[in-house]
Order: sequence, then C-alpha cells, then structure tokens
Amino acid sequence: MFKLNFKIALRNIWRNRSSSLINISGLAIGLAACLLLLLYVSYEWSFDKQGKDSAQLYQVLTNYTKENGEIDGTGQSTGNAIGPVLKEDYPEVEGMARLTHGWDELVANGQSSFKKKVVYADQDILTLFDYTFIYGDRRTAMDGPNNVILTESAAKILFGTTDVLNRTVRHENKDDLKVTGVIKDIPKNSSVVFDFLLPWALLVKNNDWAQHIGWTNNNWATVVKLSKTADVEQLNKQIHGLIKKHEPESQASPFLYPLSKLHLYGKFTKGISSGGEIEQVRLFMGLAIGILLIACINFMNMATAKSEKRAKEVGIKKTIGATRGSLVTQFLMESLMLTLCSSILAIALIELCLPLFNNLLGIELSVAYANPLLWISLITVVLVTGLIAGSYPAFYLSSFNPIQVLKKKNTKRGIQSVSLRQVLVVGQFCFAVILMIATAMIYKQIQFIKDRPVGYEVSELVEMPQDGELAVKFELLKDKLLKSGAVTSLYQSSGSMAYVGSNFWGMEWPGSTEVDKQVVFNQIGTTYDFVKTTGIKMIVGRDFSEKFASDTAAVLLGKSAVKRMNLINPIGTVIKYQGSPRTVIGVFEDFIWGSPFKTDDPMVVTFNKEWRSTITMRLNTANPAATNIAAIERIVKEINPAYPVEVKYVDQIYARKLKTQKVLGTLSNLFGGLAIFISCLGLFGLAAYSAEQRTKEIGVRKVLGASIAGLMQLLSVSFLKMVLIAIVIAVPIATYIMDTWLKGFEFHTSVSWLVIVLAAVGTIAIALLTVSFQAYKAAKTNPVDALKYQ
Amino acid sequence: MIKISNLEKVYKTEEIETTALNGINLHVQAGEFVSIMGPSGCGKSTLLNVMGLLDKPESGSYKFLETELLTMNDRERSNFRKQHMGFVFQNFNLIDELTVFENVELPLIYNKVPAAERKKLVNEIIERMNIVNRSGHFPQQLSGGQQQRVAVARALVTKPKLVLADEPTGNLDSSHGNEVMELLCELNEQGTTIVMVTHSSHDASFSNRIINLKDGHVISEKINKTRTEELI
Repeated sequence: MFKLNFKIALRNIWRNRSSSLINISGLAIGLAACLLLLLYVSYEWSFDKQGKDSAQLYQVLTNYTKENGEIDGTGQSTGNAIGPVLKEDYPEVEGMARLTHGWDELVANGQSSFKKKVVYADQDILTLFDYTFIYGDRRTAMDGPNNVILTESAAKILFGTTDVLNRTVRHENKDDLKVTGVIKDIPKNSSVVFDFLLPWALLVKNNDWAQHIGWTNNNWATVVKLSKTADVEQLNKQIHGLIKKHEPESQASPFLYPLSKLHLYGKFTKGISSGGEIEQVRLFMGLAIGILLIACINFMNMATAKSEKRAKEVGIKKTIGATRGSLVTQFLMESLMLTLCSSILAIALIELCLPLFNNLLGIELSVAYANPLLWISLITVVLVTGLIAGSYPAFYLSSFNPIQVLKKKNTKRGIQSVSLRQVLVVGQFCFAVILMIATAMIYKQIQFIKDRPVGYEVSELVEMPQDGELAVKFELLKDKLLKSGAVTSLYQSSGSMAYVGSNFWGMEWPGSTEVDKQVVFNQIGTTYDFVKTTGIKMIVGRDFSEKFASDTAAVLLGKSAVKRMNLINPIGTVIKYQGSPRTVIGVFEDFIWGSPFKTDDPMVVTFNKEWRSTITMRLNTANPAATNIAAIERIVKEINPAYPVEVKYVDQIYARKLKTQKVLGTLSNLFGGLAIFISCLGLFGLAAYSAEQRTKEIGVRKVLGASIAGLMQLLSVSFLKMVLIAIVIAVPIATYIMDTWLKGFEFHTSVSWLVIVLAAVGTIAIALLTVSFQAYKAAKTNPVDALKYQ
Repeated sequence: MIKISNLEKVYKTEEIETTALNGINLHVQAGEFVSIMGPSGCGKSTLLNVMGLLDKPESGSYKFLETELLTMNDRERSNFRKQHMGFVFQNFNLIDELTVFENVELPLIYNKVPAAERKKLVNEIIERMNIVNRSGHFPQQLSGGQQQRVAVARALVTKPKLVLADEPTGNLDSSHGNEVMELLCELNEQGTTIVMVTHSSHDASFSNRIINLKDGHVISEKINKTRTEELI
C-alpha cells in the first residue's frame, strides 16, 4: 500500500510539474527562511549556556535608588570590593571572578605586534567557565601575575601554531608574559569573550586606578558561581544592604542575576527584568513562523484547487474499499514527500545564504550537521510543516462522496473550498503587506535619525587611540602632524566623540541643592583645540586657550547642562567639579554623544591633561584623504613604533549607532520580500489553475466576441479583490504595530500615509502583474482549441 | 442472495424533493445475471448505488446472504463492500497514475492480501482478460475496450460474490461493447452474480432477467428465456 501510494505521489508530482515546482520551491524558500531564523534564535537562546556549570553562574548587578526609594536604574558593573567579600562571607558562593570589560591591548611575539582583545580576571574564572584546554593545566594556568592564556586562533595569529606553551608574549611593550595555556576559541555567543586572558594581578600591578579597593568604582563585572543547592532569592535578601554597609553615602543595592539570562533579558525597569534581546528573538520567531505559514498556505491552496483532478481517484478508491483513514494517510504522505524535497532544497539554500546572513547580523552561525539535535529539530519542522500543509487537503479530499465525484456532481463543496482558499490568500497578503509597511517605516525612522543634526562636523574627522609613546609625546605629534599639512587641527581627550565615555555626579554650582548632587553629567577631559577640531558650535564664550593660563581650571558646558543648572549668566560662574573649583568659560550647542535615538545627559567638558585615551584630528580637505591618512600613519609610526596605527573615521563609528535598526530594516525588507514572493508564487499557481478551469468559458466568450482586455479583467478581478481586502485588513494592524514601535524611541518619525499608499499600490501592482500574465495567456488562446479541449 | 424490500430514497434540494426509489422490492438469486432498465431518472442508478452500499436509502431493508446491510456504519459498509462486491463503471474509472497491473492490484491491497498472492491473483485475472501484454501501461495508453477490461479485471480480482455494473458499454463502440458483454456472461456462467444497469436492450439480452423501473417503481420483470435455458 505504502509503495503504491508512494508511486501515485511521485507520478502526480511529475505529471503536474509546474504546480509541483511552485509548491516545492515556495515551500523550500519558506523552510529555508524559517530554518535560518530558527538557527539565529537557537544561537541567541544558547547564549552563555555552553558550560556545564552555566546554570550556577550569576553576575552581580546593582540597582540604583533615588531619594524617594524608587529604583532608578540597574547597572551591570561593580566595584572591585564586592566580589572577594561575597566569596569570603557567603558559603553558597563557590567561586568568584572579577572581569574587565574587554578592550584591545598590544601584544607582540618579538617580531610583529597586534592589538587584541584582552580580559583581566581573577583565577577562579577557570573554574567558572569550563574552557577546553588544548595545552596547559587548568589548575595552575592563572597562578602567577605574568601568566597569559591564549585562545587557539590568537595563538595561531601570534605564533602560527597552537603549541606555544611557555613561550613569551610581550604585553603593552612593557611586560614579558609566559604562555601557560591555550584554549579552544570561545563560542561567539558568550558574554565573556577575549583573545588573551590575563591575571587580575597584572591589572593591579600596571594600573593605579585598579589598586584602590572600592565599592562604587564601577569599572568591572563580577561573576560568581553558586553551589547547586544555593537559594538565590535568600542570598539576594542577605546581600541587599552590602554596598550601603561599606559606603553609607551610596544608593546602590547589589543582587545576583543568572548569567545565562542576562543576554536575553538584560533590560531592567525599576529593578525588574523587562525584556531585552528576547524581543528581537521573539520577532524573528514570529517572522519564521509567518513565512513558513505563507508557504504552507500556498501548498494547501494548490492542493485543494487541484481537488477535482484528484476527486476521481478518491471516488474509485473509496468504492473499491479504501477507508477514509487510508486516504488521509495517502495525502499526508504526499505532502510529507513534497516537504522532504523542499527541505533538501532548503538546506542547499541555507548553505548558500548563510554567509550573507552572518555578514548581515555580524554573527557566526553554522549548521552543525553532526549535531543530532539539529536533525531532530529539522525532522520535526519538516513533519509539522508537512502535516500542516497536508492536513487540509487530506481531510478535504478524503471527505468526497464517491458517487458524487464519480458523476461530477461536486459543486457544493467547490463553493465552500473556494471561500476558504480566499481566506487563506487574504491572510498571506495581509502578512506580506504588514511586513512591507514595517520595512518602509523602519527605513523612514533610520532616515529621520540620520537627519538629526549631530552637533559637530562629523565628516573628515578621524580618531586614533593614544597608546604608548603618544601619551607622553603628544606635543611632538601635534607639531609634526600640523606641519605635515595632513590635519588642520587635533586634540587629545579622555574619549571618543562618537560614543559615551564617562559620566559623573556630585557636581555643585551656585544655587545647587543636595538633590542636585545626584544629577548625572557626561564628561570629556581634554586640552586645547577641542572646539576648533570638532566644529561644535559655541553659543557664548570660547574654547580653552593657551593664552590664558587660568584655563587649566576652566570648563565648557553644554546648553542643556546650563539649563539644568539654571545658570543665567554662565560665563565666569565658578562651579565645584570633582571637588575643586572650575570657571565656566564657554557654552556650546548640545551634540549627540550617545544614542541618537534619545537625549544625552547634560555635558561638561573639562580641561584635563592627565585623561588621555584618544586623539581626534580634523583632516585637511585640501589633500586627498588617502594622502592625509598615509601621512598620519607615517608620523605616528615614527613616534610610537611599538604599536600598530589605527586611524578610524568618526562618521563610520557614528553610523554604527544605527546598526540594530539597520539590521532590523534589512531583515524585514528581506523577509517581507520573501513573503510577497511566496504569496505571489501561490497566486500565480491559483491564477493558472483558474484559467485552466475556465478554458471552455473563455472559448465561448471569445466566440461571442469578448475582447482580450475584457477577458483579462474577468480572470484578474477576483484575485485583486482578495489582495484589496488583505490591504484593508493589514493597514490598521501595521499602523498600530509601527506606531507602538516608533513610540519606543524618544526621537521618532510618524507613520505616514504616503508609505501606506505606496505599500498598497506596490502590492496591487505585483499581484496584478502575477495574475495578468496567466490571464493574458488564457485570453490569447485560440477559441477553437479551448472548445475542443473540453 | 439479495432481498430488497420497501426501499425508499428521496433526493432533497432547497426547492424540490425528488423520489428516486419508491418502495422497491427485489430478490436476486445467487448466480443470476440481472439487468435493470428504464428511462433516465427512473432511479436505476440510485438502486445500483444502494446495492453497492455507496448510497443510503431513507427506509427499507437490504439483506445480503441474510445479513441486514442498512444498519451498518460507514466502516462496516466499506469492509463489506471490499469483501463481497466488485464495480464496473461506464467511464471505467481507472486511476490515471497507476499502471494496469497496479489498478487491478489495488482492491487486493485494501483487502490486505499478501504481496506474493496478490501478484499471482492479478496475473491470473489479467491473463483471463487478455490484457497481459498491457500490464505495464497506463490507462490513457489503452483503447476504451481495453480500459473496460481492466476495470472488469479489477472488479473480479477479489472474487466477489456480486458484481455491480453501471452501463458498462455506455462509452464503447458496439464491437468493444459486445466484447465486454461476452466477458460478463462468461463470468456469470462461472458463478458470479451480476447486476447491471443499462439502457441498451441489446446488452440486456445477455442477462437472465430484466427489471424495468419507472419513477422509482418496478413496473415489469421479464425472464430472458434463452439465457435461462442456457443456464439450466
């Protein structure tokens, strides 16, 4: 029986090649899109869950309370005091590691040097995360201050091989470190990622600021491992007042949060987890299911549309003795076979598209063919798809009454099935239209944010890290660069123009109250030529100048800072900044420092020679950019030969702030396009079928004098009606969704009717094109052929 | 073998009710060849469908070998049908996607006959029907007469006690039609009970007994002497 049904299925697929092709390819695209998205979902889902003890790992987070007791914000950074205390005083804490957030530092193998991502951590890190050691011993690898652990790929870059135990790595052109371990590369979906793992002791040795043990110097992450039996809630109650106990001034209360949840649920509102990346994961899952459903609908529609052809077979089999069950099984098997073909095609498609998709999302997904879980889930998806796609045709076709179908009196059911088919098509196009409108709105929002004035001249501005010799020989560098003509001005500062570097609170000014001490200000420490180089607009006053010796104790304020401080005549006002008096010498127009989607904290720019981290330069537009960059590189290399030169364009760094939204836009564009494509594929098949069914009618009408245009209209109108209904349903839904999405941004554009009209017209045009192709073909046939055919 | 009494069947649409069978009484003996004749709409096909358990009457009784069939549920009817009955249709109703061999094999599969035996039975019957050299062909590659022979083979392969034929020669030219009728006669002589609906008196002349229907009533019954004598 199975064999015979299998044969019938194969011969049917072959005989209806074109509709099979539509079915299989549509389903393959749908499956590929769905699996691709699910691959991403599983990648996000397994974030920080790779280690065998991952369920026991917790990160120390901190809630910040306002004066009225309300929780104001939640931070993921801690001081360096809390970790050791937790491990010492609480028996549930089995291990603790303080970690730096991961930044690039200089490492060299004797000949060449690289800037690679380093993390400094306490020794316990090796018991917290079970890194796979290729060389070295987990127990002793971190026991000395001059040890270093390399990842496999870092070892290959540095030495060309992984067998590098006990070899020497020159670090920051200062220390010689001994390689005590080489570990397998850390999965990309981990929070703690590095190329080099360095001992905490080295950080303390080389940095004064890390030596001071503090409860509120929030520069680090602290991760603890709890015992299997530990009661986290109980422990969180116990440590609630820990920071206040040691720093009574502080408004912070620490708590432990599962590390494996932090990535997906990293957003906190009033101290309570309120989502995070999980929202994107859910969105992707929705997209995946939606696309697959659209493909399944095609399948169902094609199958039921062809029901008349299959009805005879059902009738015969029923008369001969087939039960309904055996027929249902047969049709389900047929759909499973098509799904199987599609899934093979889908896997090929995935392999083809994966690099593109990875590039787009900036992650590294791969299909782990050796993983049984992958096969289980793939088979599940195929089975479920096959069953969903096949269920309606199976139950519908198998319900035929044998006498009626064998005598072709099958009219009543025909009408019913058409209406369900219409509902399904309307559903498909609804989804497609919603995605189209969403795409357009996302792009509109991105454009809106792009058009927001940045507040400084962002183009032709470049920056580089102030590494090594550049810190002490800045004046020499400045002199040489200006003389070379490559740059017109430059300054050193505590951080980049393009992203938030530092903030502080506790500032006092004439008229400020105790409450005002809690106000958070952004800060940049710099010396001369800050305003000149960046092109920030001064409202009143001036930039720091070497002509005024007193400027070393001066500050510039942003417009919103002045407003917050209620200063009426800001110039000359003396404020108390970091405990010492400073004179305001200028007020500038606010610029975008953090996210362009919301208002930054008020800005204070102070004169500070010691805070050196970044050199920002204005390129001389009289020369070609490449010449300028080459000149800069040459001069920097001369002064600071140990370090690679990394000159970056500030506008490129700025553009990255829109990355999340751009990815979202590209994805909804991509999957919206796919949704439309698959829907149209289905429409194409249905139109072809409808034209075929009405061949005789068309023939008669032509004989009686119908024009081609009239016939095309006849054939297209019913399909266009469905698309129109879909648009009518989709527009309010899309408007509502996108309105809600936009309101999540402080600066946002609005849903525009132009976008909706364009999406609607676009959909109609595409659908019309699809249907009219078939209609034209049918209308053009010779009427005699059509009549003979029946 | 068959005892039908007081069979009533009414077709209802929104506007009108049509009485297709109006108190039919009919007995068929084992080994008989019965023709049912009558004008269009007299209810002859309905009667055949009821006899084949393809349709349910409103009231009446239908006993087959002393078993009452009208009280059965769908599954029992389907089982009974596949064990005891074979069908031959006017338009052959072969499955286009299956070869001649596979078409004939299909009822055996539904009767859960083991593969080896299926092969034997199918080969036997297609040999008898003289279509062996066509066994790998698809229906659309055969002539109408050949197609009907395949359909007859399919109806007979399960060795049914009763064969129901609905205008078996309706789509055939006269020579192919005669071929099929001779085949049915031959089967009947070998012991198969046949009930055939036809509007051709030529075809009816092959049977033992002719029943005339009109407006859902049996209006006359005629014993076909030549055939009956042959039988004796």
